[in-house]
Amino acid sequence: MTLDDDVKKVFLETFPSLSESDFEWSKTQKDYENWDSFAQLNLITLAEAKFEITFSDDEVISISSAKNLLERIKSHL
Amino acid sequence: MHPDKIAIIDNDSKLTYSELHEEVNNFSSFLNKFPKNSVVSLLFDNTHEFVISYLGTINSGCIAHLIPTGISQKNLIEQISSAKPKLILASENHFSKIAEIESKNIEKLRFSEVKKTSYQDHKPQPSDYAYLIYTSGTTSSPKGVPVTHSNCVFTTANIVRTLQYSQDDIDVLPLPLSHSFGLGCLHTSFYVGSTLIIHKTTEIPQILDSIKNHHASTLAAIPSTLSKIVSNSFNDSSNILSDLRLIITNSTFLPPETTKKLKKILKNGKVATYYGLTEASRSTFMIFDDDDNIESVGKPSDGISLKLVSNNDESTIGEVWIKGHNVIDNYWSDEHTKENLVDGWLKTGDLGRIDDGGYLYILGRVDDLINVSGEKVYPQEIERVVKVLTGIDDVIAVPMKHEVFGEVVKLFVKKSIESDISKTDILTHCIKNLERFKVPAKIEFVEDFPRTDYGKIKRFMLK
Repeated sequence: MTLDDDVKKVFLETFPSLSESDFEWSKTQKDYENWDSFAQLNLITLAEAKFEITFSDDEVISISSAKNLLERIKSHL
Repeated sequence: MHPDKIAIIDNDSKLTYSELHEEVNNFSSFLNKFPKNSVVSLLFDNTHEFVISYLGTINSGCIAHLIPTGISQKNLIEQISSAKPKLILASENHFSKIAEIESKNIEKLRFSEVKKTSYQDHKPQPSDYAYLIYTSGTTSSPKGVPVTHSNCVFTTANIVRTLQYSQDDIDVLPLPLSHSFGLGCLHTSFYVGSTLIIHKTTEIPQILDSIKNHHASTLAAIPSTLSKIVSNSFNDSSNILSDLRLIITNSTFLPPETTKKLKKILKNGKVATYYGLTEASRSTFMIFDDDDNIESVGKPSDGISLKLVSNNDESTIGEVWIKGHNVIDNYWSDEHTKENLVDGWLKTGDLGRIDDGGYLYILGRVDDLINVSGEKVYPQEIERVVKVLTGIDDVIAVPMKHEVFGEVVKLFVKKSIESDISKTDILTHCIKNLERFKVPAKIEFVEDFPRTDYGKIKRFMLK
């Protein structure tokens, strides 16, 4: 699996109601009905566990799309 | 009664009821040199020596202070300092622990040094204390819990009536007798005149051998022992367990899967659990006749009242309060009495819920609630969800400070040997099975947990 696939998987696991066909890298937080602050926390926690990284507080706030998430993760690897 | 019937079996020996009676009376005669209501501290493994010492002590009108064998030296000194015994008695293998305690006014003896003297009857009264146990201190400093003869008789009769024990039973007991669960089982066996088989450890092959070789009818064990027994590691366990008439466990969470497996294994037997504390033994019972209410600890027994209190009012979710003849009158120290007993009601510190059918569910400890942005999270709910996963031995959820939410959930996980479960696996499972605010924000794998002398996890040390 590529890094893109792994990040996409994290995203889909955080939002189980989101189908793969609805996934878009550029969709932002406001486009998701379920992406509230708790979902944000789940997304960050899962990504940190999966890639064994730790995001700073500023990074956590800045992640508002799958694309952002991928970029932030890349910067840690 | 049948004097020649076997009363007790341990690794080393068997004793009939008449032999036990004589040994107990001999032991009691030795204690008559002490004033009535003197404390005698006992430090023993599960052996017939313990049974003789315990029964001999309470028969003499003295108070048996029961010390868990796993106790640390620090806690031992604390307990002795609080209990103020006239005598500390230990088995040979534990004597070195008590020998180190410095005190001029306490006699210290090995069991073998107790000799019969001229018997003088110091019979106890119902309101006299029978035994003293220091509760495990999972949340605070240990509390001395003195239990009266009257409490014991009420609780034992309650157990016998509810679980239908009889003299025909053969009871296998892999539980420490220094703990309320094991001790209650001992009382029960001798109350009805059954045969009690005591184990020093919870080694599963030995338990299964015991059930098989003695044609046992009942088994009392903690949930983790039962979960191990029904795991795939012990292939013949189903056949061995199938003829038991009763498996009884206690209120620590019994995974529903384990309950279902046990029920399937038993041909005609029952699986049951209870809820209680040393301070209020066997307050509720739950017999799992069907799969309904499988996570409940049941309903209060006859003569026992129970209510849930939240913000000083009765509620359907709140702290469990218990009143009845099984509840102690006071703690060993006045300070604990003032804190925890109100007009005969024991404030348990446990958080419970009662459903429409009147069944009680234990959600955790009041002090353990996690407040995630105003949402109340019960740690046990999260732990139950995670424990379903294969490869996890134990799990504890605690609050972790968080800048945005105030508190979030942190999970400590002890993996099984050779388990390759990852944090991602656990989180994905949580996301699927829990509301978002309950999903742990951090997971930490640990080798083991800090534990009390009884083996309970010290949750407060993880916060």
